[in-house]
Amino acid sequence: MSFLRSLSLNSVGQRVAGSRGANGDSQSKPPRYSAGGLFVKGARNQPWPRVWREVPLQKSYDVVIVGGGVHGLACAYYLATNHGITNVAVLDKAYLGSGGSGRNTAIVRSNYLTPEGVAFYDRSLTLYNTMSVDLNLNVMFSERGHMTLAHTDGALRTMRWRAEVNKLQDIDSSVIDPQEVKKLAPSLDVSDHARYPILGALYHPPGGTIRHDAVVWGYARGADHRGVEMHQKTEVLDILVEGGEGRDGKGAGGKVTGVRTNRGDISAPIVVNCTAGWATLISDMAGVKLPISTRPLQAAVTEPVKVFLPTVVVSGSLHVYVSQTDRGELVFGASVDPFNTYNIRGSLEFTEELAGHVLELMPGISRMRLLRQWSGLCDMTPDYSPVMGFTPVDGFLCDVGWGTYGFKAGPVSGEQMAETIATGQTAKLIEPFKLSRFATGELVGEKGAAAVGH
Amino acid sequence: MTANRLPAQPGEYIDRSKPISFTWNGEPIQGFEGDTIASALTANGVRVVARSMKYHRPRGYLTNDFWDPNSFVQVGDDPNVRSAHRLAEANMAVEAQNVWPSLERDIRAANGLVSRFLTAGFYYKTFIKPQRLWPAYAKVLSTFAPGGTVDLDTPHRYHDKRYAHPDVVVAGGGPAGMAAALAAADEGASVMLVEHGHQLGGHLLWGDVNDRMLADELRSRVESHDGIEVLLDSTVTGRYDDNWTAIVQRSHPIAVERLIKARAKMLVVAAGLIERPYVFAGNDKPGVMTSGAVRRFVNMYAARPGTRAVVFTSNDDGDAAAEDLARVGIELARVVDARTGGNIVAAKGGAKSVEGVELADGSTVDCDLLVTAVGWTAPTSLLNMSGDRPVYDELAARFFPSRDIDTVLTTGGMAGDGSHEELVAHATATGRLAAGRAAVTTHRLQAATARAAAVSGAEPAWPSDDRSALPRHPQRELFRSTTHGIVDYSEDVGSKDLVAAAKEGYDSVELLKRYTTATMGPSQGKLETVNTVAVLAEARGETIEEVGTTVWRPPYAPITLGALGGRVFEPVRVSSIQPWHEANGVTTILAGQWIRPEHYGDPAAEVRNTRENVGITDVTPLGKLDLQGPDVPKLLSQLYTNKWMKLGVGNVRYGIMCAEDGVVLDDGVTGRLGDEHYLMTTTSSGAGAIWEWAENWLQTEHPEWQVHVTPVTTGFTSINVAGPKSRELVSRLVDDVDLSPEAFAYMQVRTGTVAGVPNCFMWRIGFTGELSFELHVPSGHGLHVWESLLEAGADLGVKAFGLEAQRIMRLEKGHFIVGQDTDGLTKAPSTGMGALIKLDKDDFAGKPELEWALQDQSLPHVVAIQTTDPRIVPEEASQIVRAGTNEILGRITSSRMSPTLNRSICLGQVAPEVAAAGSELTVVLTTGERITARVMEHHAHFDPEGERLRG
Repeated sequence: MSFLRSLSLNSVGQRVAGSRGANGDSQSKPPRYSAGGLFVKGARNQPWPRVWREVPLQKSYDVVIVGGGVHGLACAYYLATNHGITNVAVLDKAYLGSGGSGRNTAIVRSNYLTPEGVAFYDRSLTLYNTMSVDLNLNVMFSERGHMTLAHTDGALRTMRWRAEVNKLQDIDSSVIDPQEVKKLAPSLDVSDHARYPILGALYHPPGGTIRHDAVVWGYARGADHRGVEMHQKTEVLDILVEGGEGRDGKGAGGKVTGVRTNRGDISAPIVVNCTAGWATLISDMAGVKLPISTRPLQAAVTEPVKVFLPTVVVSGSLHVYVSQTDRGELVFGASVDPFNTYNIRGSLEFTEELAGHVLELMPGISRMRLLRQWSGLCDMTPDYSPVMGFTPVDGFLCDVGWGTYGFKAGPVSGEQMAETIATGQTAKLIEPFKLSRFATGELVGEKGAAAVGH
Repeated sequence: MTANRLPAQPGEYIDRSKPISFTWNGEPIQGFEGDTIASALTANGVRVVARSMKYHRPRGYLTNDFWDPNSFVQVGDDPNVRSAHRLAEANMAVEAQNVWPSLERDIRAANGLVSRFLTAGFYYKTFIKPQRLWPAYAKVLSTFAPGGTVDLDTPHRYHDKRYAHPDVVVAGGGPAGMAAALAAADEGASVMLVEHGHQLGGHLLWGDVNDRMLADELRSRVESHDGIEVLLDSTVTGRYDDNWTAIVQRSHPIAVERLIKARAKMLVVAAGLIERPYVFAGNDKPGVMTSGAVRRFVNMYAARPGTRAVVFTSNDDGDAAAEDLARVGIELARVVDARTGGNIVAAKGGAKSVEGVELADGSTVDCDLLVTAVGWTAPTSLLNMSGDRPVYDELAARFFPSRDIDTVLTTGGMAGDGSHEELVAHATATGRLAAGRAAVTTHRLQAATARAAAVSGAEPAWPSDDRSALPRHPQRELFRSTTHGIVDYSEDVGSKDLVAAAKEGYDSVELLKRYTTATMGPSQGKLETVNTVAVLAEARGETIEEVGTTVWRPPYAPITLGALGGRVFEPVRVSSIQPWHEANGVTTILAGQWIRPEHYGDPAAEVRNTRENVGITDVTPLGKLDLQGPDVPKLLSQLYTNKWMKLGVGNVRYGIMCAEDGVVLDDGVTGRLGDEHYLMTTTSSGAGAIWEWAENWLQTEHPEWQVHVTPVTTGFTSINVAGPKSRELVSRLVDDVDLSPEAFAYMQVRTGTVAGVPNCFMWRIGFTGELSFELHVPSGHGLHVWESLLEAGADLGVKAFGLEAQRIMRLEKGHFIVGQDTDGLTKAPSTGMGALIKLDKDDFAGKPELEWALQDQSLPHVVAIQTTDPRIVPEEASQIVRAGTNEILGRITSSRMSPTLNRSICLGQVAPEVAAAGSELTVVLTTGERITARVMEHHAHFDPEGERLRG
């Protein structure tokens, strides 16, 4: 830790000044996106500059971030903007946003159950709210309201619990009755002859959807403007550690010296694991064991039709959530598959169950056609909470284990991880998520109310 | 009206003896049976059928098949109908989609004027400031959503599914598919031949006389072969692990669509090829079509797609299209041959039709039909789904599967080119190979069953793939002309957009797709992917092979939610007493899969009667697991936190179960019925989960333990008889068990005969706090025992009580309910049951976490709470806060007005600092009003010593 602190105060600060000049190809004043800009470029038939630069891979960086998704890119962005640490490389084995960031169903909300959860996600929602302006890229945040249906009196009680907690924290969230549900989403069957009648819902007006890819590109572009480098098709094959207790000097007590990639070795005093699906494999490379199992989460989308569903609808009992994009497609998700695998081919059973449950909720859409299904990987921890911050290997940090809700938490995680890296102190908001909790019995959790965590 | 109907064609599929009429945007259209909507519209001179998504440019048929991006129409309540595939039916109401106010005059076409500013992804760069206006912009943008309109009153009819176990599924009923099916069936395999279109024959259907002869010959052999089931207008839409194939049947006589799930031992993919459109300026004007499109119009439907044509050809199919047009008297203005260096540069014309074409030599030729034949795309989706990544072949200018896997074989156009003879020979070899491999799999499956003795002979050898490869014909690489045009018609994305996006850094095919939405539309890239890749390769200065392609995900063809959902098999459970409940004014409540009696009119009266006299309640959903074997105590010790090794026969013990994180999972009692025979009860909601939990421990951690677990929840009807007169009542129906307190004490179990029903289990336990007997009666006799109790106890005042009365009584007694008074974070010590956690046991689920939890002074406590004002019942989930602040200290988990105490009573979870008896609490009602309340000494508000219970 003392090492990190000295890095942030001394070497990084000095290198910031020096490295950009040496690098030479930092964008001086990138053009801002605006309607006016579009007009001028369109009228003059001028191209826009690259959203992020293509630069040669250096031999060393102050910070190497593994994983070019929302978490890794946000971390890089906030390192650069909030802490002036810009000699940073984000590595991705495929393309930016190719993992969970591009596969999730892009729902954001802050109506969580525990005060800690609320505080964390409310910060994330705040960042999402101003993101278009902050990043100067329209991430198309659509505050369309988020409705969690209750089909049993037990579920209704849990909804009320969440609403009451939220109210005390000034989060706009309330329990509404079936008639109000019908008003907000006329396609829902609120009759009492349904197999699982809708008894009410938790309604959260500030929840909504966002263009997930745009968040990825926005952070990448913002980080790039400040000198961070993005390297795609750069796969980390090993993490270089010295002096640890384990095999090859890895593991507890060791110190990170860099990473080995398919494009050569990179030295770096700080390596951050921001991957999902492969989090355990990356951590294993440093000799750090994570209590994570990896499960697929499947999703699907229909052909577009004229917009008829104005809010996000979630049903825990029926294991489904659904929203309609501005393009008219219905986007569906479910709960994680009940088995561990890295296979993301998807299953027929998923689409069958999904369609059955969706038609229970909205019997009128039986003629809509499913267009595409896909699957992503979720890293599940025993307490459904992430693993963030320092590990027993000095200089190796994690921001992993996000289960089914990593996208919502991307901005705040990046912000807090950046603070942790820069100050050498675990940031307060992520303190509960430290890896050591599994050895000391301080598990956190939201699973009481978040069986389908969307 | 039907001036564009050609004279009878030799290969036409319309039945001129059966005219039909339907409407198009309200106007009458004449057609014949066999027409598609598209062919009827074309024969009636309709050229513009849709408007494009973004610029609302007028569009006509492009490929005239299932994948035609311009063919989407609304038919009644059915949105997004593919009019180039759907057969016309009499009186159908067909309308253009996504146009306003009409197809001819669409106001949004104004977007086209500013298209240079609306490049792909323009929305990412604007509407940023002021932020508060974005929702308004978004609303406007969403009105541009393409597609038809869902009628939310569409009835959701049952779509039953079909399960099939064919030896071989053949995807594609063209010549290769038919030949493969015949060869496999000749070898004795059962074959399912699935054809996307309405007839067998594939590309032979719109071919010449030789093509038709071959099609007729193969078709008649297929149709007369007993081993082949033909599914027309059906698509193999997904291939999942172990050849679990999903087939969507659109031609079912009753269902709108049916999902057929086939476990195919072998899958033969003979899906043919899809003709690629050509990218050039104006390539989306009505009247620009692929060669296949015009040949289908002319040869299959005798519909005239134009009057004066220019044909741009680079292959035999383009040449044949020119011949067909000439044959039916469509003026052939020019044939531009790419093989001799010809090229087309731009289509000219107005809103309704192409009017001319500019050639590479600078000349312009007038025409109202521009036909392109520039090559093919192999729809390798099913191979992708099998794990293969296709590879590009420059010579043939298309992607091919990289290899065949063991159980998925490719033939036909996807595998290569060749003469009819070569294609049929390759397909025949493929069918034979499939049949041979299927036979091996059949042998293996039979040998693996219990009746393995019936399998004769040794396992046949796995036939190796010794097919000779099909030749590949050279095809010029023609993707884009020297001008820019539309690449993705459904998304209105042009090659210019793609180049601009690539230059901006979205320069891998996946990023490009996500940024521009190219290939994301209804045909999912079948027409667009290769052109997209080619444009990107050109922009990056790379080869198509280097750029690679995107992954094609299921489904291959879209499938309705109705067909996928099918019938939902969610059982509704009721107890055997339900008829009595219904006859006696019950109000029911849904509890998971169960329908339970909530009350019979007045729950408070039900409580009073039970406390004063005797009540009976139906608790059948209570989870019941029959446990037998010498190691049952070990299992119980593993699952429960307390000790079970010394439970005597005839005794019952209460326990709580925790998950590995120490959180309370379930609670209940288990009794020992005999030496090696136990009955475990769980909460009603936990019945299924605890069964799985027990099996999980037995199967994964302790397979050596000898325990049989049998769920018997529905096998017994469970009746709780409670109240001071319950012993009197039960004794009137039981002769063979001594019910005296000395012989049958609290927390004991007996087996006996109740109302003449033998083998009933009787427990002396109770949730209500009264003296009570829980009877578990074999289900068939449940109603009899229930009615016998009511009859025998009439003079004792026996009355039924429902779940609500039971909940009130348990709250009066302070019994917590797992999942209501506990939640997903509540560890066992919080419940006040710390004494039941026995850390001196070797192991049990949750032990390490509970060791910590017992030391943890910060855990919340479950406590009984009474409001200062006895008339106020705080709603469940009301929060408990630090006075004068919003700091949450706990919540009310259960609350009721107690008929016994005549005051409000609660259970709640509170922080340790306010958990001590007598602590003053501030409760925030859901109205926002704050009231005071007090923590009680005991969980039980009533009879804390339990004297009534033990009586």
